[in-house]
Amino acid sequence: MATKQVISPKKIRIAALLAVMGPGVIAGLSDDDPAGITTYSVLGAKYGYQLLWVLVASTAALIIFQDLGARIGVVTRQGMIGLIRQKYGARSGTLSAGALILANIGTMTAEFAGIAAAGQLFGLSKYLSVPIAALVVSFLVLRNSFARVEKIFFLISGVFIAYVIAGFMSHPDWGSALHGVVVPSMPFTRDAVFIATATFGTTLAPWGLAFIQSYAVDKRLTRDDLKLLRVDVWTGSLLTGIIGFFVIVTCAATLNKNGIQINDAADAAKALEPLAGTLAKELFAIGLIGAALLAASILPLSTAYSVSDLTGRPAALDDSPREAPLFYATFGVITTVSAILILIPGAPLIKILVLTQILNAVLLLPLLIYMYGISRDERLMGEFVSTRTMRVIYGLIIAIVAIAVCCMLWFTIN
Amino acid sequence: MKKPPVKSINTVAKRFAGRSELVLQRKNIRESLVSVAGLIGRPVRYQGGKEIGRLVDVVVRHGEDSYPPVSGLIVKVGQSKSFIDGARIAKLTQSEIQLSSAKVDLTEFIRREGESLLDADVLDHQIVDVNGLRVVRSSDLYLAPLDREIRVVGVDISFKAFIRRIFPGALGRGPIPEHVIDWASVASLAHGTGVVRSTESRAALGQLRPADLADLIEDLAGRERSALIEMLDPDLAADALEEMEDDELQGLLRGLSAERSASLISRMEPDEGAEVLRDLDDDHRESIFLEMDASVAKQLRKLVEFDETLAGGIMTSHMLITHEADTVASALTLLVEHKGRDISDGVVVVDGKGKLLDHIQIIELIAAKPGAALSSLIGPPYPTSVNINTRLDEVIDEFANNRGSSIIVVDEKNKPVGRILADDLVDALASVSNASGFAQGSGGL
Repeated sequence: MATKQVISPKKIRIAALLAVMGPGVIAGLSDDDPAGITTYSVLGAKYGYQLLWVLVASTAALIIFQDLGARIGVVTRQGMIGLIRQKYGARSGTLSAGALILANIGTMTAEFAGIAAAGQLFGLSKYLSVPIAALVVSFLVLRNSFARVEKIFFLISGVFIAYVIAGFMSHPDWGSALHGVVVPSMPFTRDAVFIATATFGTTLAPWGLAFIQSYAVDKRLTRDDLKLLRVDVWTGSLLTGIIGFFVIVTCAATLNKNGIQINDAADAAKALEPLAGTLAKELFAIGLIGAALLAASILPLSTAYSVSDLTGRPAALDDSPREAPLFYATFGVITTVSAILILIPGAPLIKILVLTQILNAVLLLPLLIYMYGISRDERLMGEFVSTRTMRVIYGLIIAIVAIAVCCMLWFTIN
Repeated sequence: MKKPPVKSINTVAKRFAGRSELVLQRKNIRESLVSVAGLIGRPVRYQGGKEIGRLVDVVVRHGEDSYPPVSGLIVKVGQSKSFIDGARIAKLTQSEIQLSSAKVDLTEFIRREGESLLDADVLDHQIVDVNGLRVVRSSDLYLAPLDREIRVVGVDISFKAFIRRIFPGALGRGPIPEHVIDWASVASLAHGTGVVRSTESRAALGQLRPADLADLIEDLAGRERSALIEMLDPDLAADALEEMEDDELQGLLRGLSAERSASLISRMEPDEGAEVLRDLDDDHRESIFLEMDASVAKQLRKLVEFDETLAGGIMTSHMLITHEADTVASALTLLVEHKGRDISDGVVVVDGKGKLLDHIQIIELIAAKPGAALSSLIGPPYPTSVNINTRLDEVIDEFANNRGSSIIVVDEKNKPVGRILADDLVDALASVSNASGFAQGSGGL
């Protein structure tokens, strides 16, 4: 009988942690989406180990702001867009939500592009792989309970281990890698600034920030869970950074060393084959598919949370479509539009993906500033209002992102 | 994208029929609505047309009125914000506000108890739609003249009204009356509104089922959550609290004053109250005990001390104890007096020394002669009783073996100290399986 077993305190602690786990790990790992893997691959192929410190800085920023987002969600029980509407007015809320929707459709298209490219590596047509992926993620999220959806997300995340294995298989120069991590240096060229800003923008993605907050609300985490939630957020963000590290290192050790230039993650996988073997290529491709599936589940979900939040309509995975029509309609529209975009022959995909990256980077700035504003609002945060030290750190990160975005825009115009 | 249907004024009116008239049903009110969202930023003028400044916010006073009157305006004059008393308003239209005199004393605005700012505290904030049983955001608020004052009469929660506000100029200001819900059918959780609320929304909240209320409470956080608890009838709030998840409840109590917590916990079933208190840290628990009625505190302290895996920790101390010499009629009277509680299925009978003799079902009492002594009804089947230190799993075995709906808990001297009902057992089992979470594959959620 269940009640007869004696439960050790340690077991209870682990169980409690597992129950809270989710928002941080899922939001963090889904930042390693095809767009992220592509960015990391290009960064590694082009600059070798030199720009690894950008990833370290992005990961640190990710930890800080994901932690803040989760805390805001738990304390206020409201999603980010709803709070922006409440605190900064209807126009700010709508503008943020609008930009987020556009950026998310673009990013979702990038996820499908990743699935299409990785499928092609295994000889699968995109006219098959993309619709199947769209159906799979919709079915996954729409037909399951919250607890089960979360477990499936965890399972999908397991594929990221593929990148770590691929990393070791490429026999990287660990000394140079360490040097790149610790010593910041930056060639001030258009491409370098772009890739550094893109690394920030893809690691600290706006939709990820919106997601972690809404997800913590949906999971009904309470203030008691904050300590464990912090473990979750740190774990997720660090894993994100570690996986990014292995992707960069793999590409640095193989592609960069041999002077091979690539355009996306699928290119990287193909180029890996002669240098590190077929298994390395396949691991890279499998990782890409898993990453794309995870992010393709999270993106429409994040958008659906944001739209429902803006309008003040119910938004919960455990609600039925009848109870939360707007929530599920948004999910469907985002998935369908992105899938169609990728399947239209001759659609300007590269343009869409580049514009999405710029939009994500630009949108990140006001979102971080709003989050900063919310964090110091005592009426919203109560005893969890941000301390002086934390405010300085938030300000510092915002300043760095602002400089990066300004440089990027300057190079875009010139 | 389809949005959920907004309840029309008529549906709301039907729910409230017979309670009081809703002012939005009056045609003249519906035609004179002024949108608060559209009003913000409009010029405020002296009599004669000279502009003083631009409207920043509208201050309303909450009181016994169902429709809170405007008590003043916050106007941006140059770089500073000034307060203008509501009595000075001569004309308020969608495009401008005119004051009744040519000169007005401008004073600094200070928040007062019982007042809230419509733009800063209510607009775009969460409110409780009492009829739809949900937490929504207010898209717009509407003012109208009523009983010689300008009052908040309606609130719009539609997406249309929200989108309308995005547009610039006059386009963004006009109200769409068909989507407006009467102010009396929502509960604003604004800051500074004190505990006095409109009687209608309070009454409507009072008709909700405790489980629905618990859901509403769980949807809110911090200040709004405390505000909702404050406006509930304490007995109803206590019922709702019993329906809440344990950790939600813990968080909730931390946000309430010890006094309020004490009043709520005292109203809960003793075993539920004790369970809540048991999980609090020592200082917090003590502070709540200090605010309680001494006898209630004493009873709860005793329950709290019991280990929750023992019979004493899951029992409720509520039961009706009668003496074997009492009459059937007096036992029935006692039952009627406590008819509201779930203990009214029978009475416990004790002897002269207070020792357990029997539990007599209400049906046996009804069948017996009113004048008969309870001792004449004592006989098999005797109730199942367990010692206060019996372990939970043994209690379950007893339940399973005897197929009864309750067990009587006795102390070392065989005196009854409480009862365990089937639902207490379910609660106890639920909390045990929750604590082990994923380990047993229950998912924790």
